[in-house]
Amino acid sequence: MDLLKRSLAEGIGTLLLVFIGCGTVCMLGESGDLFGIAAAFGLSVMVLIYTLGAVCGCHINPAVSVALCAVRKFPVKDTAAYCAAQCIGAALGALLLIAVMGMEALTVGGLGMTAPAPGVSYFQAFLAEFIGTFVLMLVIMGVAVDRRASPGFAGLSIGGTVLAVILVIGNISGGSINPARTFGPDLIALLFAGSDALWTTFPLYAVGPVLGALCAAFLYRGIAGRENI
Amino acid sequence: MQCYVCKQNGVDRDAVGICIVCGMGLCSEHIVRSDVEIQEGGYPFPSRKLKTAVPRILCPECAKAFGGR
Repeated sequence: MDLLKRSLAEGIGTLLLVFIGCGTVCMLGESGDLFGIAAAFGLSVMVLIYTLGAVCGCHINPAVSVALCAVRKFPVKDTAAYCAAQCIGAALGALLLIAVMGMEALTVGGLGMTAPAPGVSYFQAFLAEFIGTFVLMLVIMGVAVDRRASPGFAGLSIGGTVLAVILVIGNISGGSINPARTFGPDLIALLFAGSDALWTTFPLYAVGPVLGALCAAFLYRGIAGRENI
Repeated sequence: MQCYVCKQNGVDRDAVGICIVCGMGLCSEHIVRSDVEIQEGGYPFPSRKLKTAVPRILCPECAKAFGGR
């Protein structure tokens, strides 16, 4: 399948992730139901992997695409296209939230934007995002990239990992572990409300997850051996 | 080994192959050879068709049964 179609699928996947995940944040954010939010993200990732995994790979996360590229499991050209598609899809997903829920999705729900919790320093939030994405990428390498992995369990394992990670770091950094998932709501908040999150907090959610995913990918390759991935 | 289909028709003819599904011996007249396209990949890599197809030998009955796929 050509790159354009695969990128389109990747964009749609990220759009749906943001619509469901961040939509749940908008709906449940005030109640503080972190499990509900984590479950929405985890289940979305799981079903999207089973739905789009064969079509485009369903990374729906630039950190994952970049890490796979870094360990030479994914072409550079495809990685650039996927990252662009993921960011566009995430922005459209956030836009769709406003279309469906109205401006309350932004003014009340904050479009599911991520930010360090009160009292949490940038470094703590960075570290939380780093570790969260490290765990996510390590699981992806183990259950999906490794040639010895049992087929068919990737979606379940990775969805469960996303759920667990958000439960741990959700109240620290917001539990993004995905630069596109933060970029989309931040961009739409900038366009509709002049939010400065894209300049102030987004770098944290871009650098932390990418570094975490890179470390996990290289570590797994070092442990498992190049011949097994 | 002789061709099972020919034997049913009362003809003795040597088999040149065996159906991979039912194990029936087949002569050159009744053998069905097809190329099966193989997909590799899946999460986190897109599925893609392998350049080389895998050959498969079937009897007429099994070929008919698989033909619907």
